[in-house]
Amino acid sequence: MSKIGVFVCHCGENIAATVDCEKVANTAAKFDGVEFATDYKYMCSDPGQNLIKNAIKEHHLDGVVVASCSPRMHEPTFRKACSEAGLNPFMCEVANIREHCSWVHEKGDATTQKAIDIVRGLVEKVSRDHPLESIHVPITKKALVIGGGIAGIQASLDIANAGHKVILIERDPSIGGHMSQLSETFPTLDCSQCILTPRMVEVAQHPNITLYTYAELEKLEGFIGNFKATIRLKAKSIDEDVCTGCGTCTTKCPTKKIPSEFNQGLGNRTAIYVPFPQAVPNKPVIDKDHCLHYQKGVCGLCEKVCPTHAIHFGQDDSFITEDVGAVVLATGFNVLNTDFFPEYGYGKYKDVITGLQFERLASASGPTSGEIRRPSDGKIPQKIVFIACAGSRDPAKGIPYCSKICCMYTAKHAMLYQHKVHDGESTVFYMDIRAAGKNYEEFVRRAIEEDGVNYVRGRVARVYEKDGKLIVKGVDTLLGAKPVEIEADMVVLATAGVANAGAEELAQKLHVSYDPYHFFAEAHPKLRPVETNTAGIYLAGACQAPKDIPDTVAAASGAAVKVAGLFSQPDLVREPIIAKVNRMPPPVFSTCVGCFMCETACPYNAIEREEIKDRRSGKVIKTIAKVNPGLCQGCGTCVSFCRSKSIDMQGFSNEEMFAEVQALLED
Amino acid sequence: MSKLSEKAAALLSEGTVGLVIGYEQGTHGTRPKFCRKAEDAATLILNDKCLNNIGGYLTKPELIGSGKVAVTATLAVMRTVVQLTAEHQLTDGNVIVLALDGDEVLQMASIDEIKKWLAAHPEDLSDENKALLSKLKALSREERWNFWINEMNKCIKCYACRASCPLCYCNRCIVEVNCPQWIKPWAAPLSNMEWQINRVMHMAGRCVGCGACDRACPVHIPLRLLTISMAGDIKEAFGVASGTGNIDGNVLSSFKPDDKENFIH
Repeated sequence: MSKIGVFVCHCGENIAATVDCEKVANTAAKFDGVEFATDYKYMCSDPGQNLIKNAIKEHHLDGVVVASCSPRMHEPTFRKACSEAGLNPFMCEVANIREHCSWVHEKGDATTQKAIDIVRGLVEKVSRDHPLESIHVPITKKALVIGGGIAGIQASLDIANAGHKVILIERDPSIGGHMSQLSETFPTLDCSQCILTPRMVEVAQHPNITLYTYAELEKLEGFIGNFKATIRLKAKSIDEDVCTGCGTCTTKCPTKKIPSEFNQGLGNRTAIYVPFPQAVPNKPVIDKDHCLHYQKGVCGLCEKVCPTHAIHFGQDDSFITEDVGAVVLATGFNVLNTDFFPEYGYGKYKDVITGLQFERLASASGPTSGEIRRPSDGKIPQKIVFIACAGSRDPAKGIPYCSKICCMYTAKHAMLYQHKVHDGESTVFYMDIRAAGKNYEEFVRRAIEEDGVNYVRGRVARVYEKDGKLIVKGVDTLLGAKPVEIEADMVVLATAGVANAGAEELAQKLHVSYDPYHFFAEAHPKLRPVETNTAGIYLAGACQAPKDIPDTVAAASGAAVKVAGLFSQPDLVREPIIAKVNRMPPPVFSTCVGCFMCETACPYNAIEREEIKDRRSGKVIKTIAKVNPGLCQGCGTCVSFCRSKSIDMQGFSNEEMFAEVQALLED
Repeated sequence: MSKLSEKAAALLSEGTVGLVIGYEQGTHGTRPKFCRKAEDAATLILNDKCLNNIGGYLTKPELIGSGKVAVTATLAVMRTVVQLTAEHQLTDGNVIVLALDGDEVLQMASIDEIKKWLAAHPEDLSDENKALLSKLKALSREERWNFWINEMNKCIKCYACRASCPLCYCNRCIVEVNCPQWIKPWAAPLSNMEWQINRVMHMAGRCVGCGACDRACPVHIPLRLLTISMAGDIKEAFGVASGTGNIDGNVLSSFKPDDKENFIH
């Protein structure tokens, strides 16, 4: 007969206001197998915990039920208390009589009765529980960082500086990401590349960082501490060991009219190219889709002019596998294109551009060498209109969220314009100015007060072309919705920040949850902002939600600390709530017949094969399923699928759950 | 000697296989025949009257031993071999299938060959079964429930349906699990229904449609209607034919990222 202790918590008034806790304890004391039952104001407090510990020792309890709040809250607390008193921690169960009972019902006998029923269910379960031991899993102390923007760079550097190996993979030919495209950065107006490129070089030179550019994650298997990543190294058609980065090939390439991704289509690049002068690594790649050799089988000029014979046509994508212990997702974001907006011309007006395109115009490394010249005719615009919230905060457009960075960069753009075109006139249409951040509000005030940017609170209904001018029609809501019409030379849309291309696919590959906008979801919006729901996979930067550079860098460092913290453990301790295939003495060995239907049902690839061999002859008697304790997440899919019920869940066995449900259904 | 007998005898005398499982004429119809010597094969027959699914014997180690086996096969037996191999109960290449193509004897040693043959000869429901099934589907939910409860009333829980099924190869059946007792062990309409629902769910996507359960039932419950109906539902919902070994795992459990249903993403 089991000796179970029942401890009913009042949770101050949280439970006691609607549930008669004393009655619950008195009734529970009469249940079969219950040795001791009591109630107390705060079980989670020190005296409450001592109450449990003392009762375990005094009454030699072999099972404990704490009737209190959700096990999500204090299960670890009570399990630890039991453990300290010498009881196996998994012999302690929490009956949730707060969220499941007192908070959702009114005071009354029925409410108390429900609490009693919940306790009875857990008493039945705990009397069938078995002591379990935590699982220790080794950790591979090497991290994989996906994405080489500022988030990935910062996370890689922080992890590497903590003394751990890092593999950094980047989809594009160079690291740097969006930050390398920016001209100046708010709120200090320091040059983006000037502060970024030292970090890029540091990545390239760091002994702990292995950088793979033009590379994508093909597959990720395994689990926290023990991932196996398969990385696709896209063919660069270049032998990187031989290439000196002299650039002769890029000057000779005859295909020169390819819109440059780095310049947001405002400039051109060649088919063999280095995206920008400070690229890391500064070695070209051949864009197979535009190269004459790959498309038509002609040319091959780069191969002829290369002094070191580094051009290798016909190179195929190659694959490498790396064992890693943690993954940091830093795949960044993108902005909507102008063609998303029918009211602003569907992208057909050349002089309606996105904020990111304006960055390239304002950048010294850009197509106009930093002069603000409009794309259509290269003239310096005398009147410019900035439209904030283009797409953002617009449920009708399917983007109800605030893109966060636009208010600030629009102020910056207007300021840069005023600094470069002294007689120019700039107008910003805005919904609200969201400048919450250190020195942010001051920055916006400076744009308005010192640089004379004209801020109009209202939305722009329409932009259309007339006689070489862009007619911007909006309203000024601060002047009683007075219509405003501006004949502008150029319009800059602060288009919404959206999830990067392929984000959904990547999330599915990694089993990471994501929101309706395909931004990756954090494990908890407040308390676990850089973790995902998949253990061992962390988030950094704008792949989670639109973020500015300071927030991105902070998140990246946060993710890096999580990784370093994980790597500082000798091994990983996991709860033993996993599935297990039954074993029994010969000649049966196990009731598993080895149909391996569970193998196809398991979402975590945790089912392995175990051969039971004759000890003398070594002959295989039977092949049965075996659950890898490191991979298993305890979802129970295999348990429900096993026809012969040969797999069971530790801590939530069929027998335990059946007993609990039966007890709940009893009158 | 028929060509089939000659072939079987040759396999045995060459030592290619240690056992040929087939059919011979019995007093009241056909019966299984286990040939271990070449001369045993003389009485082998294979025709429309060979209805028992002898594929079920292939998972009995006490019969088969560890060597290669040949089995004379109707389409249902072939489906059984294919499905059992997909479920890792048979090793591809260890079972030689002898089938008839007109007068000629076909010898198939690999699952791919059998699958090709099966693809060319898809299962077709008999007119009788089609009529019964459409009659059943035309009933209202209550009427259908009452129909089955009436049928289940007759069940004596002898588990002949289980014993005859070539895919019920578990060492321990769920009805024998008593901790917890999932299915009530006594014979009563509801507990009988529980058993049959469980049996058919366990057959989802796996049933080879041989009808052995139905023929084995001593109280003539039309059990084939349950499995046929399930196979039809599987075909409709997942686009795959039950019991052809073509399903990657189990239709009810496997997930593909490119699933056509949007809700699952």
